Amino acid sequence: MDLAFTPEEQKFREDIRAWVQANLPTDISHKVHNSLHLSRDDMQRWARILGKKGWLGHAWPKQFGGPGWNSVQKHLFEEECALAGAPRVVPFGPVMVAPVIMTFGSPEQQARFLPGIGSGEVWWSQGYSEPGSGSDLASVKTKAERQGNTYLVNGQKTWTTLGQYGEWIFCLVRTSNEGKPQTGISFLLIDMKSPGVTVRPIVLLDGGAEVNEVWFDNVVVPAENLIGEENKGWTYAKHLLSHERTNIADVNRAKRELERLKRIAKLEGVYADTRFRDEIAKLEVDVVALEMMVLRVLAAEKSGKQSLDVAGLLKIRGSEIQQRYTELMMLAAGPYAVPLIREAMEAGWQGDHVGAAHCAPLASTYFNMRKTTIYGGSNEVQRNIVAQTVLG
Amino acid sequence: MDFDFSDDQEQLRDAVRKWVDKGYAFERRRSIEQAGGFSREAYAELAELGLCGLYVPDDQGGMGMGPVEGMVVMEELGRGIVLEPLAQTLIAGAVLSGYAPDAVKASWLPRIVGGEALVVLAHQERAARYRLEICDAKSTPAPAGWALTAIKSVVPAGDMADAFLVPAIADGKLALFLVERTASGVSTRGYGTQDGGRAAEVTFQNAPATLITLDGLTALEYAVDIGIAATCAEAVGAMDQTLSITTEYMNTRKQFGVAISSFQALRHRVADMKMQLELARSMSYYASLKLNAPAKERRAAMARAKYQLGISMRFVGQQAVQLHGGIGVTDEYIVSHYFRRLTQMELTFGDTLHHLGEVSSRMQDTAGVFA
Repeated sequence: MDLAFTPEEQKFREDIRAWVQANLPTDISHKVHNSLHLSRDDMQRWARILGKKGWLGHAWPKQFGGPGWNSVQKHLFEEECALAGAPRVVPFGPVMVAPVIMTFGSPEQQARFLPGIGSGEVWWSQGYSEPGSGSDLASVKTKAERQGNTYLVNGQKTWTTLGQYGEWIFCLVRTSNEGKPQTGISFLLIDMKSPGVTVRPIVLLDGGAEVNEVWFDNVVVPAENLIGEENKGWTYAKHLLSHERTNIADVNRAKRELERLKRIAKLEGVYADTRFRDEIAKLEVDVVALEMMVLRVLAAEKSGKQSLDVAGLLKIRGSEIQQRYTELMMLAAGPYAVPLIREAMEAGWQGDHVGAAHCAPLASTYFNMRKTTIYGGSNEVQRNIVAQTVLG
Repeated sequence: MDFDFSDDQEQLRDAVRKWVDKGYAFERRRSIEQAGGFSREAYAELAELGLCGLYVPDDQGGMGMGPVEGMVVMEELGRGIVLEPLAQTLIAGAVLSGYAPDAVKASWLPRIVGGEALVVLAHQERAARYRLEICDAKSTPAPAGWALTAIKSVVPAGDMADAFLVPAIADGKLALFLVERTASGVSTRGYGTQDGGRAAEVTFQNAPATLITLDGLTALEYAVDIGIAATCAEAVGAMDQTLSITTEYMNTRKQFGVAISSFQALRHRVADMKMQLELARSMSYYASLKLNAPAKERRAAMARAKYQLGISMRFVGQQAVQLHGGIGVTDEYIVSHYFRRLTQMELTFGDTLHHLGEVSSRMQDTAGVFA
């Protein structure tokens, strides 16, 4: 047992840190460090910078153009990016659909889709949830009928994050109504420029339109866009979810935001209040405990000697912590969290702030983060999964 | 970055677990509790396993092992809620071999290793509660050493121990002394404790004392930190077993015609218990792996760990009783004994609020496992 990183891992970290410092545009990191609005261009600029270096798919194996890093190296890379204020990589392409294409796609599909994902040129969206299928994903109804060499797709997806920018979307579609719901699902890649695809933004409680409804009205999709076999899509989707494990805990971002919380609490004068500071202290222990749990998983993956089935716990705890730091930041701002001035959440706004500029986005961020205990399998569904592993 | 146990560590775990399973079954534990809460015989068996010399260097007859081995052993003793206070012996072994003059080492360490001498920390005072720097005890130079006057509270197995490690003010500064229980001026008032174990109020009236170190606060902090890491590990073992007892019960107990483990409200509670257990395990690793760090870093880590463990212990203990229903509050059934042990461990070496205060007052701009 050893808590320390090896000298090689330390060196690796330093190299990553230097590269990120040299390559992350400061106008972007400024926005991240202050929860200001990130545009499509901001996100894609950073994705392309990573793509050019071959690190957008930082978890990809070498054979598909990735760096072939082990679990600890991946973690160090993610941590250095997060601490430096890099935007989260939009995961749908490089983190979610790419591993499915690598594992279950044909060589032709791999050659066709992976380069655009790895370079950050093509924006992917996720078509999983439907109005009637939230946590119960296997009940998807969006229908794909085979007609010769094409599928005819009809139905509706929803909660499609950043779908307004999407160029391609990977969807779970129903190709059969026989047997269990899980057995009639297929995994289909759809060009969002196809006739019959309509994207409508959903305005959320923070006033932003981060998610969308995506409608499919007689959309014709070439059969060659089917991943693997028809009706096996559920298996592929589960594989995809297994790639979200430590990622979803987002402990690196939590460390960065904890620092920011302390800065804001000091500037707003509540850090000296024991009652408030103790709440930060509790969160600090929560973050250290989560980080230790993540490190245990990474070390187990690296050595291969233990299997640690704590993915559900990481999701629950990570999302609770995300919500808590946004909550405490808002509480630190106190009355100055109340004004809703949208322009004040844009970088470079020259207007008069109410209170300090750092207060402007805090309530909106708090509202926005309520999603974290709902998405990716709600925390209640996660508890079902955890209980299953303990009780059988 | 490595959280695997070595083969030797796994063997050590197996040996202790085997002894706990075969040698320290619930019935024996109960008879020890009824006989006063401490068994010399059981303690001697721990010594036979080599555990009393775990933190004593090889050249002084011990096993010369480190915090990870200590953690492994304490987890297993916690699994069986063993009453004999091995954490105290780990403290005595490490503190004496680290700070005591050679003559004291030569006189005491072999007996500690062999289990003939039980040496425990007697540091708690009424006015100090969990604060280590506050001390009413006084020690003054005497013709043949020192004379120590103090009242120390809730000293583990205090009326059974052979000697005490006692912090006292000497020449205006906290120093650490060793005092034998049978020395003149020492009196003890023993009693049972909530977990079925034993403790005592110990009064020292101009008792002859041997100086361990004049840098007493440094040694005392080290002693308590060894105790915290050991208690964290012991609590993980106890919680692990508590959860396992609870889930087994839930899968057999039927109400409304079905096993109660089928009810979602209860299943979610189990998920929350598992969460607290794994957070606690993570922080117990953290505590043990930071035990040899420089004092400032070590102290901060122990506060974080004991805070988390306190939260976890209380939750897992309370919920285990709740999920058992009526049988959970009986003395007959084993789960209440785990609950009592867990509760007492929260109150040992600083409770949850105390350590929250420590974390809060030590907070820096950056945080994390490596900060």
